[in-house]
Order: sequence, then C-alpha cells, then structure tokens
Amino acid sequence: MDLAYLLLLDAAALVIVTIVLTYFFFRDLLRNRKEKL
Amino acid sequence: MLELAIVDYIIIIVYFVMLFTLGFFIKRKVHDLNDYFLAGRRLTLPIFVATLVSTWYGGLLGVGELSFNYGFVNWLTQGFFWYLVYLFFAFFLANRIRKSNLYTIPDQLERFYDKKSRFLGAIFNFIMVTPAPYVFSMGLIFSIIFGWELWVGILLGTIVIVFYTIRGGFFADVYTDFIQFFLMMIGVAMIIPLAIQTYGGFDFLTANLPETHLTLTGGWSTQMILVWGFLAFWTLADPGFYQRCYAAKDAKIPKKGILISIGFWVLFDICTTFTGMYAAAASNAGLLTVESATTSYVSIASALLPPALMGLFLTGLIATVMSTVDSFTFLGAMNISHDLYRNIFKKEATEKQVMNMTKIGIVITIGFAVIISLFFDSIVTMWYTIGTIGISALIVPILVGFFYKGKKSPLASILSMITGSGTSLFWMINGYLNLDSWGWPQYIGGFEPLYPGLLASLVVFVIVNIIHTRRMK
Repeated sequence: MDLAYLLLLDAAALVIVTIVLTYFFFRDLLRNRKEKL
Repeated sequence: MLELAIVDYIIIIVYFVMLFTLGFFIKRKVHDLNDYFLAGRRLTLPIFVATLVSTWYGGLLGVGELSFNYGFVNWLTQGFFWYLVYLFFAFFLANRIRKSNLYTIPDQLERFYDKKSRFLGAIFNFIMVTPAPYVFSMGLIFSIIFGWELWVGILLGTIVIVFYTIRGGFFADVYTDFIQFFLMMIGVAMIIPLAIQTYGGFDFLTANLPETHLTLTGGWSTQMILVWGFLAFWTLADPGFYQRCYAAKDAKIPKKGILISIGFWVLFDICTTFTGMYAAAASNAGLLTVESATTSYVSIASALLPPALMGLFLTGLIATVMSTVDSFTFLGAMNISHDLYRNIFKKEATEKQVMNMTKIGIVITIGFAVIISLFFDSIVTMWYTIGTIGISALIVPILVGFFYKGKKSPLASILSMITGSGTSLFWMINGYLNLDSWGWPQYIGGFEPLYPGLLASLVVFVIVNIIHTRRMK
C-alpha cells in the first residue's frame, strides 16, 4: 500500500476531529445560553 | 506578492470583519476582573483545546522552512519531543495548576517563595511572552500576500488585535482563537489531498528528495537533535499553558484538554511536515518555483489550491500567527497590571484601576514587540534567544516549587533565576562574538547556552537552599 494513503487518512482525521470539536463547542455555548435564560 | 482571485480577498476581508465584530460584541460578557483576566474561569473542554492548540502554534513559516530544508526530522524535533513534555505537563502539572486558583506564573513563585521572586519572575515572564517573533511573522505574511512593506502589515495586524483584546480581554482572546483554530486546521489539511493528486504518492517524494529527508534524524547530529529536544522544556514554564489551566471550568479539564490537544498537534504536525517535503520535492523536480525555504509553504499552496480555497488557506496562515500574538500580548499586559502594578506597586488598586492598567499594558507589550521585531531580521534567532534566557531562569524555581515538599529558600529562587539566565546570556554573547567561518556562533565547549544555564540555575538553587534553610531554622 502506498504510504500516501496514511497521509491522506491523517488529513481527513484532522478535518473530522476539528468539525467534532466545533460541534461540541457550539453545543456547550447554546446550553450555557439556555441555562442563563 | 501573490496573484489572488477576488474571492480570496473577500475571504480575508470577511475574516477581519469577523474579528472586529467579535471584538465589538464580546465586551458584554465582561463583568469583572475575573472575566477580563480568565474569562470567568469558565473555559469548557472544546474551547480549552482550541485556544491551547492555536496559541501554541505560531510558527508555521518556520516549520515549513525546516521541513523544506531537512525533511521528516522536523516532526521529531518540533513535534515528538514536545509531545513528551506535554504529556508530563498533563499528568503532573495541569490539574495542580488549576487547583491553585491563581492567575499567573509569578503568582506561583510568590506562593512558593516570596514577593521578590514574584517581581523577578514577572520580568522574565514578560521577556518570554513578548510577541515579537510572531509580530514579525505577521508582517512577513502580509508582505507575501499583498506585497506590502513589513511595517504596514505589522501596524494593521496590531491595530485589529489591540482593538479586540482591549475590549474583551481573555474572552476576546479565546473566542477569536476558536475561529483561528478552525481555519488553521482546515487550511493545513486541505493541501495534502491536492499535493498527492497533483504530484503523486510516496514514490514522488523518494524519487525527488535527498535520502536524509525521509529518515527520522535527517542526518542531524545527536547533539543538534537534543538541543531542539531541550527547547521543548519551554512548555513547563510557558505562561500561555498556565493561563489556560487557570481559566478552565473545573479541575479535570486541563489534563483531559492537553491530552486531546496532543492528538490535534500530532495530526497537524504530520500535515505540515509533509507539505514542506512535497514543496521541496516538487521544487527539485522542477515542478514548483520556490523563492525561499521560509515561504515554501505559501508557494506550494498557491500552486495547488484553486481560488476560494487559497483564500481560506491564507486566512488560516494569518490566523496561526494572530492567535499567538493576541494571547502573548494579553499575557504581557497581565504581567504589568496584575503581577507588578496590583501585587507590588499599588496594593490598594481597585478592580477598575487594574483593568485600565491592563489596557495600557496591552499597548505597552505590543509596542515593545513591534520595536524589537523591527530590529531582528530572523524569526528563529529571536525565538531562540528569548526562549533560552527565559527558560534557564524560570524552570528550576517553578519545578522545585511544585515537586519539592521540603523547606524552600526564597534567596535560592532569586539567585538561581539570576545565575541561570546570566550564564546562558553570557554563553550566548560569547558565542556570537566568536563566529565560525559559516557565520554560526561558536559556544564554549560546543554546548548550547541552554545547558549551562539550566545547570547553573539548578546547582545554585540546591547549594543556596541547603545553606539558607539551615540558617532560617
């Protein structure tokens, strides 16, 4: 297998975890806002 | 200057508008000094990770330069060694720092020793958090993108950062860090598939790079690798790490957050290292024109990315630097207002006075950085000088404070800071006065200034501590 696939996997993983973290960030943000209201 | 499509300019402008808008509205969140300094100690896990990862990564051009010139060894020296120190920090320091409920590193020094240690520590801390190398990078990036003179980019970036940091304090810092974190990660990741598609897989790299580029050590000597490895100890006295630990919502977040951040750094560093290597291989194969190793990262991006994605990448690049400049600027300002003004010179100061002093501190810190950055012409030299002096002063007193349970002498802490930094400074000056034929400094005994600095600091601490604590009895 070409090692480039691993590199591709690495970049894909970076994008996915970034999106997951962003999702949790907004979830916390909205939850905090609701609690305040 | 790069040739960009209109859409790229629009993306960059939108980014700046977002920063301005955030700076404008964030002020509502600030109710007291705790909000201003530490975002009310309410950082949740995702924002803790985003602000730590993005702040820590200010040197994308430097990393591009190293991977372009030397290949995979960049990952070993700028990645692997650091992960080890981050792990140590996560398991042994992070939660302790949060539990101490303080604000800064000098606060810790006063808790372990006395006011004089706070004062001296604050000065070294201020030197370490000067955003000068990153202010310089910021100017450089603007000059590459728009073809401006260095000072124009520096001035423009500085104005934006001062605006939102003054208004929103640490809140503004961490929320802008989130935008910047997102842009950095996506911007860096998207080059990889295009590089593989355009140039080919690993065969392309092996065919067009010197063999050493693909080895772990890049043909470097063990001492050279260890010197870079030792620089990773910077983390143990890094004010940005401490500040984020203090600001976490509860005592469990710092450890968990650092461990998750390490995951991000690993993925990110692999992308940046290989992009630098692809740039070198493409340049060797005659498929890419690269002006200099420092700007190789931008050259490969500009060759591969279509309009819009290029704009996104460039905003990511600007974001890596700006997220570091704003955090360091704010840390320097807290140094002035909290560590020196409130705790040493004017103890009766009201919250409002301290907040105003922080705002003045923001202007002083970044002003000082702008002046320094116009004098040095290399990012690496600046970073290295600052790091060596700061680390050799602070690491021993801080670590002893955290881990040595016996009686500690304030005198030992002060003398160790002075001799540690003094020794490395002397070593460094002496090295620069004796340049070899290549123009590199020749250090006494061939040792880099950090080693004798740390050794002197440790030896002096131990000896003075033994003698002085006996007398104290």
